[in-house]
This record gives sequence, C-alpha cells and structure tokens, in this order.
Amino acid sequence: MNCEIKSKDRIGVINPIFTCQPAGAQYASIGIKDCIGIVHGGQGCVMFVRLVFSQHFKESFELASSSLHEDAAVFGALHRVEQGVDVLLMRYPHVKVIPIITTCSTEVIGDDIDGLVLKLNNGLLKEKYADREVHLIPIHTPSFVGSMVSGYDIAVRDFVSHFAKKEGEVSRKINLITGWVNPGDVTELKSLLSEMDVEATVLFEIEAFDSPLMPDGNHVSHGETTIEDLRGTANARGTIALNRYEGGKAAQFLESEFDVPAVIGPTPIGIRNTDIFLQNVKNMTGKAIPESLVRKRGIALDAISDLTHMFLAGKRVAIYGNSDMVIGLAQFCIDLEMLPVLLLLGDDNTGYANDPRVKELKENVGFNMEIITNADLWELEDRIKNKGLGLDLILGHSKGRFVAIDNNIPMLRVGFPVYDRAGYYRHPIVGYAGAVWLAEGMANAIFTDMEYKHNKEWVLGVW
Amino acid sequence: MPYHQFKCSECIPERLKHAVDKGAGEELTDALPLGYLNTIPGTISERGCAYCGAKHVIGTPMKDVIHLSHGPVGCTYDTWQTKRYISDNGCFQLKYTFASDMKEAHVVFGAEKMLKKNIVEAFKAFPNIKRMTIYQTCASALIGDDINAIAEEVMAELPGVKIFVCNSPGFAGPSQSGGHHKINLAWLTQMVGTVEPKIYSKYVINYVGEYNIQGDQEIMKDYFHRMGIQILSTFTGNGRFDDLCSMHRAHLNVLECARSAEYICDELRARYGIPRMDIDGFGFEALSDSLLKIGYFFGIEDRARAIIAEETARWKPELDWYAARLKGIKVCLWPGGSKLWHWAHSIHKEMGVEVVSVYTKFGHQGDMEKGISRCEEGALAIDDPNELEGLEAMYSLKPDIIFTGKRPGEVAKKIRVPYLNAHAYHNGPYKGYEGWVRFARDIYNAVYSPIHKLSFIDISKDEIPTDRGFATQQMYSDVNLPEEVKNNADLRQCTSKYDPIPALREKTYCFPAPETGEWRVIPNEELSKKNSGVA
Repeated sequence: MNCEIKSKDRIGVINPIFTCQPAGAQYASIGIKDCIGIVHGGQGCVMFVRLVFSQHFKESFELASSSLHEDAAVFGALHRVEQGVDVLLMRYPHVKVIPIITTCSTEVIGDDIDGLVLKLNNGLLKEKYADREVHLIPIHTPSFVGSMVSGYDIAVRDFVSHFAKKEGEVSRKINLITGWVNPGDVTELKSLLSEMDVEATVLFEIEAFDSPLMPDGNHVSHGETTIEDLRGTANARGTIALNRYEGGKAAQFLESEFDVPAVIGPTPIGIRNTDIFLQNVKNMTGKAIPESLVRKRGIALDAISDLTHMFLAGKRVAIYGNSDMVIGLAQFCIDLEMLPVLLLLGDDNTGYANDPRVKELKENVGFNMEIITNADLWELEDRIKNKGLGLDLILGHSKGRFVAIDNNIPMLRVGFPVYDRAGYYRHPIVGYAGAVWLAEGMANAIFTDMEYKHNKEWVLGVW
Repeated sequence: MPYHQFKCSECIPERLKHAVDKGAGEELTDALPLGYLNTIPGTISERGCAYCGAKHVIGTPMKDVIHLSHGPVGCTYDTWQTKRYISDNGCFQLKYTFASDMKEAHVVFGAEKMLKKNIVEAFKAFPNIKRMTIYQTCASALIGDDINAIAEEVMAELPGVKIFVCNSPGFAGPSQSGGHHKINLAWLTQMVGTVEPKIYSKYVINYVGEYNIQGDQEIMKDYFHRMGIQILSTFTGNGRFDDLCSMHRAHLNVLECARSAEYICDELRARYGIPRMDIDGFGFEALSDSLLKIGYFFGIEDRARAIIAEETARWKPELDWYAARLKGIKVCLWPGGSKLWHWAHSIHKEMGVEVVSVYTKFGHQGDMEKGISRCEEGALAIDDPNELEGLEAMYSLKPDIIFTGKRPGEVAKKIRVPYLNAHAYHNGPYKGYEGWVRFARDIYNAVYSPIHKLSFIDISKDEIPTDRGFATQQMYSDVNLPEEVKNNADLRQCTSKYDPIPALREKTYCFPAPETGEWRVIPNEELSKKNSGVA
C-alpha cells in the first residue's frame, strides 16, 4: 500500500492531456477587459486555441495572430507584430491591452519582442496613438517548455507585473487569483467572499464568458478584469492564489515586489479545502465566517452524506487534467471514501514531487496510488486495456472521452476542455457548491452506469 | 469598381481588393477579389496554418495510420477531436493522436534521436498498425530535423512498417491551403506506386478530395459500388494507407474537393495518364450529372441512370417539402474553401435560397471565380474574411442563416443569425441524395427554430405575445404557403435515420470481373477492409 510518483517512461505523447504554453497565455488574456492578444507565430496557434475555447464555452473569443509566413520564419517576423499591433489598434478602438504572446517558432527564430515593445512604445504609440492608453506586454511562452498550465501561470504574472502599482494606503481588498477555472467557479468564489463581506479583486473576472444572447447583439464574450483591477493588486492587503501552478507566480511576485502577503493554495475543491480557503480569508481579512456559510456548508454535507458510504465508498477513480485540480479532486475523493488510484499530471513540471499535497498523499494514502507526471492519456488507457487496471470512474476533460466510452467506464467531465456535455462551464467545482456538484455528478454517473450494465441497479429503487 | 469597401477596413487599404460586390451585368473578371495572399497580421483572420491543412484536413482522415506530429505537443492537441471525419474501423484516426513532444533540450540539441524513439514507441503501443505519417511542425522545421532520414532508418530496422513524411510546417504558406498542396505532392512522390492493388472490377477509380465528414464518403461509395465501380482508394476520408499507395492503377480520378486535392489529380494525370474528372456530391442535379459523367466514362451510364431514378424518386419529395419552405431565405455561404462553389448554385436552384454572400478562408482566385459565377447578383464575395468584416456583412445583409465554421457560428448566434456548420455539418452526412435532404432539413430547422424566433423579442420594450404556449417550425414556415403546397400529399419531411451510415456498411455489391466482365459478389470485408490494420 503506497503512493508512488513517477514520470511517464515513454518519450512521446499518445493523446495529450495538455496543449502548449501559448494557449494558457491566451486563456489568461481573454479574462482582461479591452484586451486582445496577438499570438506571434503561425496562424494555427491562434485559430485552434480559439476553436477549443469555443468548443468549451460555445462562445467566440477574440485573439489575433501575427500570421507568420515562410519569409517571416526565415528573415524574422517582428515587422508582422508591428503591423499587427497597428491594425488591431486602428480597428478596435476600445483595445487598451495587447499581450504579445510568443510560440515555438518565434522563440526559435529569436524574435526580440521585448525590444519591439520598447520600439513601439517610443514610436508607433507616441506618434499615432498619443491620446490613447495602450499597453503592450511581451509574454514569452515557447511551446516546447511547460504546458498550457505554465503558460497561464506566466501570463498572469506578466499581466500583474506589468500593471501592479503601489499607490497610497493598503486597500481593504484582497487579490483572489483563481487559476484556470470556469465562470461557475468564479460565481461560487465570489458568493463565498460576499457572504464574508470581503471585497476582492478577482483575477480573472470571467463570469461573462457565459454570455447572453441579447436583443442588441453582443458578438463576443470577454472577461471583465480591468486595468485598474490589475493596477490595484499591488495595494491589496493580501493575495490568495487558489492554484499553485496557475497564478502562484503572480502571488509570489506581488509578495516579493510589493510586500503583499501571499497564500498559495489549497485549491478549494471539496469541503475540507473550502474550509481552509475560508480560514485563509478570515486570517487575511479578520472577517468572521458567517452563519450563512455554516448553512451552505451544511447543505453540502447533508447532500454528500447521502452518497458516501452507500455509493461512493471504495470506488476506484482515475483523474487527469490541470495539476492543481487533479490534486484537489484526489483529496476530495479520499474524503468521500473513494480510492483515487491513478493521477495523471500532463506536464514535466519538476515541482510536483515537492508539492506538499503530493507529499501528504505519499505519507498517508492507505491504498496503491500512482501519480504519473509528464503523463498522457495512453498512461490511462494502456493500464485499463493491457495492465488490468480496474476503474469505477474517470474524472477528466473531454479529450479523454473515448477512454471512458470504449472501456465502458463511467466518467464525470471536469476541467478544460469539456465540449461533449452541455453547460458544464456554468457549474462550479470549487467551494461548497462545487463539492455538491462533484459528489452528485459522480454519483449520478455511477447510477447511470449501473442501470446500463444492470449492475445492482435495483438498489436505487429504495434509496 | 466592384470592390466592396468595408467600413471597418478603411484603415487597411490593402484589404479593399479582397471583397467585391457581384454587380448586375458585370463580367466575372471585373468582380474577382484577390485571393491566397499573405494574411494581414492583426486582422483576426479566420485562417489556419499549413500544418493543419496537411495534417488535420488531409492526412488524418486516413484510418489505419498512426498520425505523429514532430514538434511540441500543442499542434497535436489542438488539431485533435475537432473534426468529424469518421471511418468504418472504429475511428482510430479520431481517437488517437501522437506527438513527439519536443522540449527545450530537443530544440537546442536536435530532436532526431527522440523522434526515432517516438516512432518505435508508437508502433509498440499499437502493434496491429504498421503504417505511420509523420508531420513536420514549425519547430521541427526550424531546427532542421531530417525526418525523412529517421523514417528511412526505422523502416530499415522494423520490417513491415511503412512511414510517410509530410514536411509542411505551419508557416508554409498564407493558410491551410499551403499544407494541402504540400501533402498532395508528398504523397504522390513518396507513396504512390509502392503498392500493387488487387483489382476486382472493370471500372476502377480513385475518389479524391473526399474526407468522409459524418459519412459523406460512405454514402457516395454506395452509389459507386452500385454502379459496379471499384474505389481503389479514397483520398483521404475513410481511406487506407496501402490503397492510397496504389492510386496509380486507377482508370479515373474522381475529384470532389478540387481546392484541397486537385494537385494530386493533376500529377497523376501527368505521370500516369489517369484522367481527372471533377464531380460534385452535393445537390440532386449536380450529383446526378456527376454519376452520369462517370457512367459515360465507363460506358455504364444506364447503371448511373437507374441509381439516379431510384434515389430521386426516394428523396426528391422530401427535398421539395423543404424547398417550398426555404424559398427566398437569405444565406451567407461562408465555408472554408470549395463549398462556396459546390453549394452556391445548388442550394439556390434546388432549395430556393438566395446566396447573398460567399466567402472563402483559404480558397484561391479559382475558387472565387467558380463561386461568384454561381451565386446571385448583388452577392458580396469576401476573400480571407476577418471578424469585423463578417459582422459588418451580417449587419448589412441581414441573412436568415449562415453556413460557416463552429467558432464564427458562435459570433453569428450572438447577433441572432442562426448558423449551420459548413465544415463538420450539424446532422450530416450532407452528400448524396439522402444527405442533401438532411442538409435542407437542418437549414429548415435552424431558420424556423422557435427558440431563434423568441430571441428577437426584447421583453423590456416589446409587447409580449400571450396567445400561444408553443410554436412549431411549421407554424412559422407555412404561414404564407399556398394551400396546395401546404397540403401537397406528394411531399414529405425528411425520413432519413439519425445515422444512415451503419446500414450502408452491411450492404453487398456486385462487380464485373476485370477480364471477363462477369458480375459477381465481392465480399463486404474486401470492400470495407474493416478487418485490416486496427484491432
């Protein structure tokens, strides 16, 4: 009985869990109001990322490309960015923030986007857009380093470090860096904070990603975090970054640069982690945890108690996706008496082995658990098909759907992207509401499976 | 001047010549936008890259192949599970994708060794698959890895294994079209002629430029097989690697999407003397003409006529039911490349819709020539459209529906223009007689969607109708329909099953023997080859 962490021993990837860094930077950028990023690379690096966003949210998001073509790949492509910035500014008069996001190709050819930003700041912006607030932010996200997770982390830090500015007294607000979450998560987090009467700058305000179809026609979805929000992060009384690997860097930056105290993690998935989150908020703000949240938590406990021993106990689960989420889900599953026997972390971040949560798992788990880093989905499928891994449930995003479908294993879609279920972005997985959604979602997936397979389906009749 | 000046693009004068209005009495040559030029950066164009054109559009529909991209993981991930090119072998090509996962050290020190390991690993993971395509990406092209050399090395070491290399990095051309071109020629030069096929019919074709979106290839294959024609290979939907290696033995190349696959047809004609015949699987008349043309070529036009008669009798009453209700519907026909000319005239003639705009993301001027000549006067034609121009066009043209891709479709939805997925289809297949009816049904459902109608009400300003608890599509579509059409007992709504493809896979067909001409049954397994390759 032990928990083992190891790296995938194959060099290649069969069915990836993550895409590459620029996608993470793009995901961060769409959270900012009046911001359209330019991805410096081939057109596919944008076109397909926009597509996967639209698959997940059933919405369209604006992102531009420097449209690297052959000549540019040979002779350098900075002029493409220059033109791209100008074209974007001319045609989108509201745009104030333009991150310039690099890719593998433009990092390999060595385009100096930092130098270019200086040049444009002193040239184009002064000459042509003197009366306009424009921020060009170089973001280096070579695709051959890290993953979409680290790309997101880097971009959040770069946005924060660009804007954050200490001005006057420390404000009442805290910074809440959510990590790569859904609109439903932000709604739940804001509701928890509002119950505690805590004001927060949320990075990023993405509730509007779930945008309405309005009589006046609102053609795109966009996040609502403003430049002022980002600027004010330096003045906050503290930062809570929910995810170590998605926003942790920005929290550390604010602490080291502006002495804004940082609490990083835990990812508030499950009752226990949400409790800790609230405790952290309480410590940071001095605000009490109100009766309303005791009640909200009580509703969650009540709902989940109906499920644990009778249905969830002993169920063997594999979990893949964004690393903080996977670890948070594993912790919650253990609290639910389940057995998360396989965790797949889809990149080669060397920090995972030293993650205190991983260490805790290693020290305390009473069943055989494997944590695979640099993992792909073949690590999951191969174990099921060829190595006798028995599973009762899979938790992960839609790219792994066929593992579940072809092996007749129930699956709860969770994480990014989820495109084969309707409206999942609307539901939280964090907070007490998230705990209920997850536990009930897992239970219902198992119930449906019991019925299809005629596996003690009659027990549900007298539940 | 016929050029269309978008207000949103006044500040980029070089865009002017990329859009035209098809004026009354204008010569085609007057009304031809520029096409297939480098994209203007920052326009938020809808174009993809040459890697995706090669890998995602043309390469991956091949069904018994390990598709390995040599580069960082993103190219692979991003182009995986975003299309609907199914196959009759359990969709291996949809379910599995392979990336060499190039990391920083590989960029610095070279990635050839790790590529080799990758190839071996992939074959080991799928021991039943002996065929592989390796796709170059921006990163592997820029660091200069010699993928062909590695492939040769592996093939020497692993007997029975065949590897095709496609060098088409993302930056190789203005759009995905560059990748179509590259993989066409690469397949021809590397692979064609390396396998000698089994010929079981007197009439042998390659079916080219057909990607089996939601089963298009299989619905067309049914017609060809009923004519007694052997499909030696399909380039590439539902296609087998080895079949495609024997393209040189066909008597005729039947070309569907000329935008993405005319190159290989032209080269097969030049090198092997195989004629190219452009056909069209969309639309009753175009399809009937196509089947007849192929019939004439082989001298089996009677067999074509029989199929045309049977299929028309079966499906025309359903098409006409919708046509009566779609008359005058305004359409923006905004696909990727070839569908603007595959569809423009057929939807107008057979469904009565008005094509008010055509656009192409990666088409060339030739596509525009065909598209503009086939759409209505006054139509707006746009090359390499971008987000703002698309919006401006929709606001000014007020289409009832647009046919476009998934993401632009979300933009349209927000301004209350329903969309149909022109690339992956809503509920396809759309090819064939049955498919064309399905397309008409999908258009009808979108245009007369009760929920869509509700989106036009602003509850804060408008008087809210309180007279009905629901609406059916017909309550909208039949309002102004003459009684004799409304009650025409000869017409009926679509009766196609949710998925018509599995039944086709079970059918048995006769073919005339190449030597004797004697018609005999060829077993299903031989036709579908479903037992080869993948377990």
